Amino acid sequence: MRVFFEQLVNGVTVGSFYALVALGYSMVYGVMKLINFAHGDLFTLGSYLGYTFLVWGAAWITERAGLWWGVLGAILFAFLANAGAGILVERVAYRPVYRAGRLPLVVSALGMSIFLQNAIMAVWGPRFQVYPSDLVPVASLRFLGLSLPLLKVVILFLSLGVMFVMYWIVEKTEFGAAVRATALDREMATLLGIDVQRVILFVFTLGPALGGMAGVMNGMYYRSIQFSMGWNYGLKAFTATILGGIGNIPGAMVGGVLLGVIETLLAGYIPGGGAWKDGFTFLILILVLIFRPTGILGEKVAEKV
Amino acid sequence: MKSRRLVAFLFLSAVFFWGQVFAEEPIRIGLQAPITGSFAIEGQMARQCVEVAAELINEQGGILGRPVEIIVADDASNPRDSALAAQKLISQGVVAAIASYGSSVTEPAADLYERNRVVCVAYGATAVRLTMGKERRYFFRTCGRDDSQGEFFARFAVETMGWRRIAIMHDNQTYGKGVAEETKKYLEPYIREGRAEIVYYDAITPGDQDYSAALTKLRESNPDVWYYTAYYPEAGLLVRQAREMGITVPFVGSNAVPNEDFVRIAGLEYVVGTFMTQEPLPQDLNTPKAQEFFAAYRAKYGDIPSSPWPIYAADALFALAQAIENAKSTKPDDIAQAMRTMENAEGITGPIVFTERGDRKGVPYAMYRYNEKGQLELFTP
Repeated sequence: MRVFFEQLVNGVTVGSFYALVALGYSMVYGVMKLINFAHGDLFTLGSYLGYTFLVWGAAWITERAGLWWGVLGAILFAFLANAGAGILVERVAYRPVYRAGRLPLVVSALGMSIFLQNAIMAVWGPRFQVYPSDLVPVASLRFLGLSLPLLKVVILFLSLGVMFVMYWIVEKTEFGAAVRATALDREMATLLGIDVQRVILFVFTLGPALGGMAGVMNGMYYRSIQFSMGWNYGLKAFTATILGGIGNIPGAMVGGVLLGVIETLLAGYIPGGGAWKDGFTFLILILVLIFRPTGILGEKVAEKV
Repeated sequence: MKSRRLVAFLFLSAVFFWGQVFAEEPIRIGLQAPITGSFAIEGQMARQCVEVAAELINEQGGILGRPVEIIVADDASNPRDSALAAQKLISQGVVAAIASYGSSVTEPAADLYERNRVVCVAYGATAVRLTMGKERRYFFRTCGRDDSQGEFFARFAVETMGWRRIAIMHDNQTYGKGVAEETKKYLEPYIREGRAEIVYYDAITPGDQDYSAALTKLRESNPDVWYYTAYYPEAGLLVRQAREMGITVPFVGSNAVPNEDFVRIAGLEYVVGTFMTQEPLPQDLNTPKAQEFFAAYRAKYGDIPSSPWPIYAADALFALAQAIENAKSTKPDDIAQAMRTMENAEGITGPIVFTERGDRKGVPYAMYRYNEKGQLELFTP
């Protein structure tokens, strides 16, 4: 039983990374009906930006204010810098092809993904980069006989917090109503005087920013990062999004955590399961698409955001 | 006047014939190696090693009384250039070729040498299929095969260390799975005797970052030793995550694990004390031939080679020299026949004996351990 809970915690940790990446994915899809292939690479970009920040700037902050401020600084830096990158990507790769239809948009996103991956490789090199170990806190909590690294707990609560903030913005604010309206019918929203361009920009800023944040936390947690790691996360987040119900904020969260847990339990309990982890993931994707294309929280499909 | 001419004629002809006796036509042997490209350092060291070996052979009277001449061709460590390099050596009429570093680079070249009936001795190509896939009559290698490593680990773990509960982890790719399966095979006799037990045998997904599920399972199997038979990026993550989870079981990595990046990813504090099954590193070789060779190499380049692979290139030349000497012929068929049957070839890494398929018999492997400075040290229990 202790092992089972431990595996559950392992699963929830992996799952909260998937969820953070999936939140940005899902939002972009909700509004643009675009599978943003570049999202995974923006995640990588975020983790490299956070790495650079930690290497160059965090020692200064840590000395003056303490370890956690350095960590917070890195997360905030990656969040903001990635928001900027998101705006740039939207301006360069998406806006010119909005009117051309959905397919050119997807192709453009795919191109952007390849470009970003190679740009990261050109700037930081093809080798693994390792987060400095003395700048990341290693404290752990004891809880019901389990030892939980504090960073794990922080990651989980941070992604939960982000989800609630996003949910609140979209459901309770006036701007959120505009976002929902755009998601439902872009032309109608334009006719009603909603600044659709602003909504789109908002989505393409917040999505990558969240991805960047996930990237830094991923780097801090696993320490080593590589230019091509985003592709895998992109695919997992995409699966999580489908699983939870695409375009649905709580759905992305539920889907991400659930995917992490399923993967971990299968790898932990099925003999030879470790080798088939990704196989399970995509089997789930196929099954959901066949039997429940709207995902777990699919009833709310009309309120896509 | 006339007598002067005669003297000059006699003198010149004497010089001419004299020259014929002492400057015999050299025996040309090709070296195909990655002189440029991403493994350039390996190729350049291989060239230095083979040239030093050739000088040693020439100082001791050459082969069949003829000097050895080395012709170098660059394959840039990619299969396309490999075929071109092989073509170049073949057209220059080499008697045999030493080629090359990397199994996938060596394969196309081996096919060309085979077709043109030139003996090819690989020095850094360990894939099992090179000798066991299709039959090649002119192909040999001085380095080991991926399965001899599994055999070494099984013997070392059970007989030397007395580890009973063995965990094997791989990454489901050709190399990793191959070594894991061979290890399992060589553990079977011990299992039947009740001296060993495989308590964990599973693959992880390469490219993942979170291995906590697999590691929790590994910990619950309560092993005495944990053998990981794949590449360094995952090995680094695994070692770090395992130690952070409090798993203290001895870690043994296969020969694709130890390098600088493994130490960086896992972190030095966790790397110290990890074991590696590895070809002996140059500094730990002490056969008579090794002493002779390293003395000559150090005199020329200041230090001994830092990688084990170039040593196998020099050994390839020593093996070829002995085979030609035994065959008393430079015909490819005679050389290949002599290579298969010879028992008197001494290399830097010990005696060089080949099997019928061209693999080296009894390739030495050694157990290494990382010390406090993050360097590999020969482990003697």
